[in-house]
Amino acid sequence: MLFSFMLTEELAKHAAEKVQEGAPELPNFITFLYHKFGKVALVGFLHHWENVIFSWMVVIILCFVAYLAYRKRSIMPGRLQNLVEMVVEGLDNFICGILGPPGRKYTPFLGTLFVYILCMNLFGLIPGMKSPTSNLNTTLSLAICVFFYVQYTGIRNLGLVGYLKHMAGDPQDVVTWILVPINIPIHIIEELAKPMSLSLRLFGNITGEDVLITVFVGLGVSALSFLHLPVGIPFQLPFLFLALLTGTIQALVFTLLSTIYFSLMLPHEEH
Amino acid sequence: MSYQTALAIFLPLGLAIAAMGSAFGLGRAVSAAMEAMGRQPEAAAKIQLGMIIGCALIEALTIYALVTVFVLQGKIS
Repeated sequence: MLFSFMLTEELAKHAAEKVQEGAPELPNFITFLYHKFGKVALVGFLHHWENVIFSWMVVIILCFVAYLAYRKRSIMPGRLQNLVEMVVEGLDNFICGILGPPGRKYTPFLGTLFVYILCMNLFGLIPGMKSPTSNLNTTLSLAICVFFYVQYTGIRNLGLVGYLKHMAGDPQDVVTWILVPINIPIHIIEELAKPMSLSLRLFGNITGEDVLITVFVGLGVSALSFLHLPVGIPFQLPFLFLALLTGTIQALVFTLLSTIYFSLMLPHEEH
Repeated sequence: MSYQTALAIFLPLGLAIAAMGSAFGLGRAVSAAMEAMGRQPEAAAKIQLGMIIGCALIEALTIYALVTVFVLQGKIS
């Protein structure tokens, strides 16, 4: 309670000075620590690596939940095990529905991506926390993972020759062979554009939504600033629900597009 | 006109134009998907999936404009 009060006061100051600076960002508990104990080396370290720290917090929470669900598993599942099983089964059905039955191999990777990104997106809605996905480095690293795994899958499934043929646009007759020199650069640019668009989409959406919330928090705080009390009008409330929606949709979109990229690299029977 | 003024005028304007374009695109895509879903309710899941992919790709164009705004935001002031 005390922490939340101190945080509100800090928030008012911080939001006011951040709005003037340009990119507004809600203060999290690390910025709070940094303002109080900025000279301590550990706090400086935390402040410098805050996105990594927050994503590791998400990782640890997810690992802990998975461990709890795994530890006491039984045929008659408890509440937590039921929930986790439901999530896993839903993701498996979703991914196998697009990739077909052999796509089950990719469920661990893609399902983890979904759960991880969803938790990172929603992490910023907890007071004192921040979405690590509102930084381009986090999203770009995820997209690069997808990129390399997709290329590896392509070479593995199509063979090196098949992969090169795929990059050349599957030449069959004379006309398509003539078009090969045009097709190869187009395919290379296409492959490189995929991680860029994936990461920029996630980063832009989450940052935009965070900036929106921050601007309205600043508005609500400055509306009551004449009272000199650490309170504000919660103007940001409707946008929190919007953030819930966009966070979920963007996690879904990231997973969905990664799945589609995998399906483009798998050998397709129907044509 | 200093470049700060130019940025302050044209960054939101550019974002607005990009948003308008993708709003038209989204409107067409969603209305067509809704129509198809109304015609064939049993295929609703598949249509919805395709619609979400299309919407994400359309929306990405606006997000690029938004990212430009974020990148250049520090230059204003």
